[in-house]
Amino acid sequence: MSPPENPNGGAAAAPSEPAQPPKPSSSSTSKGKGKKDEKKDDDLSEEDLALKEQLELYVVRAQDTDPGVQKLALESMRQEIRSATSSMTSVPKPLKFLRPHYGTLKSYFESMQEPELKKYMADILSVLALTMAVEGERESLKYRLLGSEGDIGSWGHEYVRNLAGEIAQEFQKRQGDEMPIDALMELVQQIASFHMKHNAEPEAVDLLMEVEDLDLLVEHVDSTNYKRACLYLTSSFKYLPGPDDALALDIAYTIYMKFRDLTNALRIALLLDNKSAQYVKQVYTATDDLSLKKQFSYIIARHGLAMEIDDEIAADENDKEILQEIVNNSKLSEGYLTLARDIEVMEAKSPEDIYKVHLIDGRGASSSLDSARQNLAATFVNAFVNAGFGQDKLMTAPSDSSSSGSSGNWLFKNKEHGKASAAASLGMILLWDTDSGLAQLDKYLHSNDTHVVAGALLGIGVVSCGVKNECDPALAILLEYINKDDPNIRIGAILGLGIAYAGSQKDELRVQLSMVLGEPQATLEVLVFTAVALGLVFVGSCNEEIAQSIIFFLMERSEAELAEPIIRLLPVALGLLFLGKQENVEATAEVAKTFDEKIRKYCDVTLMSLAYAGTGNVLKVQKLLGICSQHLEKGETHQGPAVLGIALIAMSEELGAEMAVRSLERLLQYGEQNIRRAVPLALGILCISNPKVNVMDTLSRLSHDADADVSMAAIISLGLIGAGTNNARIAGMLRNLSSYYYKEAAHLFCVRIAQGLVHLGKGLLTLSPYHSDRFLLSPMALGGIVTVLHACLDMKSTILGKYHYILYIIVLAMQPRMLLTVDEDLKPLPVPVRVGQAVDVVGQAGRPKTITGFQTHTTPVLLAAGERAELATEKYLPLTSTLEGFVILRKNPEYHEE
Amino acid sequence: MIARSSSWTRGFVPCGTVYKENSVSPARCLVRSFLSPLPSKPCYRRAADSPAMPTVSVKWQKEVFPGIEIDTNQPPVVFKTQLYTLTGVPPERQKIMVKGGILKDDADWSTLGVKDGQKLMMIGTADEIVKAPEKGPVFVEDLPEEEQAAALGHSAGLYNLGNTCYMNSTLQCLHSVPELKSALLSYSDNVRGNGVDQASHSLTVATRNTFGELDQSVRPVAPLHFLQMLRKKYPQFAQQQNNVYMQQDAEECWTQLIYTLSQTLASEASEPSATQMKELFGIDLVSRVHCAESGEVSSEAESVYSLKCHISHEVNHLHEGLKHGLKTELEKVSPTLGRTAIYTRESRINELPRYLTVQFVRFFWKRESNQKAKILRKVDYPLELDVYDFCSDELKQKLQAPRQVLRDAENAKFGLKVQGKTSSSKDEGSSSSAGESSSMDIDKADSSLPKKQLTGIYDLIAVLTHKGRSADSGHYVGWVKQDDGKWIEFDDDNPSIRKEEEILKLSGGGDWHMAYICLYKARTI
Repeated sequence: MSPPENPNGGAAAAPSEPAQPPKPSSSSTSKGKGKKDEKKDDDLSEEDLALKEQLELYVVRAQDTDPGVQKLALESMRQEIRSATSSMTSVPKPLKFLRPHYGTLKSYFESMQEPELKKYMADILSVLALTMAVEGERESLKYRLLGSEGDIGSWGHEYVRNLAGEIAQEFQKRQGDEMPIDALMELVQQIASFHMKHNAEPEAVDLLMEVEDLDLLVEHVDSTNYKRACLYLTSSFKYLPGPDDALALDIAYTIYMKFRDLTNALRIALLLDNKSAQYVKQVYTATDDLSLKKQFSYIIARHGLAMEIDDEIAADENDKEILQEIVNNSKLSEGYLTLARDIEVMEAKSPEDIYKVHLIDGRGASSSLDSARQNLAATFVNAFVNAGFGQDKLMTAPSDSSSSGSSGNWLFKNKEHGKASAAASLGMILLWDTDSGLAQLDKYLHSNDTHVVAGALLGIGVVSCGVKNECDPALAILLEYINKDDPNIRIGAILGLGIAYAGSQKDELRVQLSMVLGEPQATLEVLVFTAVALGLVFVGSCNEEIAQSIIFFLMERSEAELAEPIIRLLPVALGLLFLGKQENVEATAEVAKTFDEKIRKYCDVTLMSLAYAGTGNVLKVQKLLGICSQHLEKGETHQGPAVLGIALIAMSEELGAEMAVRSLERLLQYGEQNIRRAVPLALGILCISNPKVNVMDTLSRLSHDADADVSMAAIISLGLIGAGTNNARIAGMLRNLSSYYYKEAAHLFCVRIAQGLVHLGKGLLTLSPYHSDRFLLSPMALGGIVTVLHACLDMKSTILGKYHYILYIIVLAMQPRMLLTVDEDLKPLPVPVRVGQAVDVVGQAGRPKTITGFQTHTTPVLLAAGERAELATEKYLPLTSTLEGFVILRKNPEYHEE
Repeated sequence: MIARSSSWTRGFVPCGTVYKENSVSPARCLVRSFLSPLPSKPCYRRAADSPAMPTVSVKWQKEVFPGIEIDTNQPPVVFKTQLYTLTGVPPERQKIMVKGGILKDDADWSTLGVKDGQKLMMIGTADEIVKAPEKGPVFVEDLPEEEQAAALGHSAGLYNLGNTCYMNSTLQCLHSVPELKSALLSYSDNVRGNGVDQASHSLTVATRNTFGELDQSVRPVAPLHFLQMLRKKYPQFAQQQNNVYMQQDAEECWTQLIYTLSQTLASEASEPSATQMKELFGIDLVSRVHCAESGEVSSEAESVYSLKCHISHEVNHLHEGLKHGLKTELEKVSPTLGRTAIYTRESRINELPRYLTVQFVRFFWKRESNQKAKILRKVDYPLELDVYDFCSDELKQKLQAPRQVLRDAENAKFGLKVQGKTSSSKDEGSSSSAGESSSMDIDKADSSLPKKQLTGIYDLIAVLTHKGRSADSGHYVGWVKQDDGKWIEFDDDNPSIRKEEEILKLSGGGDWHMAYICLYKARTI
């Protein structure tokens, strides 16, 4: 048996028990490992015995007085060692035989005078120390530094790894003692370049991270290994603390730029939000290839970055217009409909098609009378299911000709504020298609029913969500209404602006909405929604001015006003401004500590959880878990946001998410009621549009919980995790729930909403805020989800009350989960692709397969959570390595038809 | 693959094709001729000639109108009128996006900085404005509670007041008889008939009130008063064990309640209602008592409120059980023999009720365990019961004609539908007159013969089931058919909807609920 390889490089010293090399066939194998040294001699083959004697002779000779003899002996010894280090799996024989003499050689080394010979000796000692030295002594490194700085690789891979480990330790020590590190750095250079040449990029990156000099990496990467190095950097940054993570990304960006892998560089640029604008421009200007620029624009559009294409990016007026159009998402609707036509799901679905009452025995078929709540549920289901398709069976009349047709009828089958949601549902149905959307909504603006007008205004916001237009029709129309008298109309217009311009950071909106926020006579709900709209428009902007005005507004609230359930959206609005911005929130969080104690803790927790959302910061997760473990006095509600916060922070990477699921399970068992109520929602965020079986089971169990709030939250979350998947199992569960809760109007409403979510866009959409292989997080999408879920913390007074239109904010997270390949003229180009489960290839050498269990389809195709696609043809080359959303294909010049 | 590949190409739709076919009016044609030279000439050149007249393109919905000249000396209304002719959208409903918002009618062009070749966007439709319908829909949530109950499709449940499920299930089953409800409604509070004791009177009033509550409430009802009255009238129901009221036999409750009601309602002064309960539930039997030994034959008549279904080893079906129940053996002293002899007694139904109660004799007194033990045997019962076989010859004779009518009606419904249709469509006038006359006939018949005729065929409308091993333990539940054909399981305060198949599964043979009392409603013509 061979000793197991030490995976830790050289961090560990030699094993105390000398391991046995594989024995030659001649020797008896029956004798075990535990033999003593003298006995072992008997087992040695003649060959080994000869080698041993030879080496012993060298040792004696090396201590000879004659330098010539010494040198010869050392040379020979070196020769023996080098020729034997080739084996990776066992301690080489020469090392083993020299073991007993390590001490002698060491002591002799101290007395040596001749510098050259001494260096020779140091080299040998350094190698011997690999197996001999006591752990923590770092003798290998010590002798290496004393030795003759020769080619480091000549002593073998294992030696280098050991050395790298010792360097890391030594570096820490020297930094602590403020000792010079120049000599070390020289060695680091050597080792890094050795690793990079030998397919060991992760080791090189690790070493450079340890010695805090990642810049060196740029020198050592070449075109063959830069991809693996960058992959390792970009996937490890999430686990790095403080400024190191940004540095790692920066290096990755530099490397990608160096090798002109521009789409990947762009992705990193988008991730580094403080340098986004500058880097994105760099990426654009690094190439003259228009098609590539179009591809950049598609990526930016998916991310939702509001960007102006200027002359620097594209000099030509025509090109500029094309790029701007892509960035504006103007063609999103068209692409989505192409996908829908290809999959043949264009036909509108009615809520009944989703409820599938015929599959449930007898129940559900309710009386002939209309129930306002059930009709409202049907409105939402209809909107969710037909989202973006431009046609449905309730709101859009079949021929569009008679305005008093079905749409009018359905609209007025809703009660009061229900009519607002019904009118706004038209916006969802016509999502992204601003041209016909605005036209169809226009007629509702002239209605004399304020709820209908409010709904139409909200609908205008929904329809323009994520789609920009140089004429800014939504802005022009909605601004007309934000100062009307009727509070409903105002809310509709303000929330519409928030949705339409989320993330745009339009200064005009700041001015206008801040003015509304300063109005003393406006009703509380108008003001709260104004704050939310500001939060959405300036999501992640760290805009101090807006933060100030929201803080002032919060401070001025009276005790009674603070008790209103809707007030819980104010901390969220404030938090949205700092979404994912980590420390930047601290100043605001300090101010928040001075709030009325009713809201102080709630605000504190919400701010923290939003500021660290999507960062995977383990310390913050622990802090929030700590908050959840407290037993509260009556009336405090801040544990709900804390639970949501755990999910928000941990959702950034798979491992953290899995751990969070387990922690939440624990909270469910030991937590108090207000915590249990938030747990289903937290699970919903963690697995949004990603129905993991274990989470599904937990939620299914909770959906029958005795506590109504827990079960309702679980039902909504079943919808969230299955959002846009058409998952048959969840659909079945919800159907059963609909018959189980057929008498509970509130539960039934939740079941309906969940059913609508599961069939979101007939299964073509996703709510996941992550895209580009789960690498980038769209802040708008996350902002939308967070707002809706915070509202869900108190479902009875928000979604089940008269603020159900909050549900439309989820539109911010809605994106087609498609891969649509287009040619360089942006026309759809069907090509075969392999779609399969993504495989984690980080840190693997060579070119491992990135997907498994794949099937071959022709584009456009749907991509489920955790799936990846790759081109199944050589005929075309994709302009981006991540095949998601719109991908431009270019003819492969080297391809020859067979 | 792509239906509208042309839409992928950017570019403007040629001007000539933008007009909707249906929107060309004479007025528009006029303006069109005024505008027509514009697209044919390059716009920029013209604009260069007169900078005061910038040419813009206007996007409206999915269409683009290129080369529209703006006369900046005129107010924007003129421009809007221009667009009106193109799109048919009235100026007051046009929203044109310019710098700084929507173009106002009194705006000054010069401040808006409209540039030559600029793209403007116009929003607005000529569609009719949605108006609320005259009469809005009525929502369940807005209705008063009683009406909500009606909308719910079934009445409320009854709270269990401590082992009172026997009573609840009985009440729910009887509640399904509308005639009983109306009879109770006419029962007045203060009038107490002769020979009716106070307890019976109050029990009847309590029954009436409980039924009333059940009809009006969505929330479960607590039949406290009724229970009190029941226990007052029949103290056996107040039996206690370990200071807890005991479970009781539902059949006993049922029988006693029916008996009391028949007493009180019959005593009610007015004549027609005197025999009401009897008409509803009473069964007249004629029995022929025969002694095989002596050859004595005598005949007896009696009136009962339920048919018994005896369960023995050979009984698998209700029909067999009923037959069994109508034929009994008894020992009595024979006057001719001067000693006790075995007599057989065969009963026949002489008069049928509107509601037929069938009791499964599932319980017998088990001496060794000192309790009413239960027979778990599976006895199937039909949704439609025909009791013709059990009727006396006299009654059979009477039933002949109505049964024939019913059979014809059924035939007409299934097989002979087509014929009926063709004959009716042949001449509507005559058929309608015939219909009138026939309805008049019915009216006449009604006046002469107030009762509808019975056919001997009954439909199942309520089942009272028992779950458990003895009559004084376990759980009673009522299953009641609603007018819309749905079944409701009244498990105390929790009514839930059931399917017809589930009702037929209550036939016993396991530990699941099994039918104890079945209530059948007569099919009449």
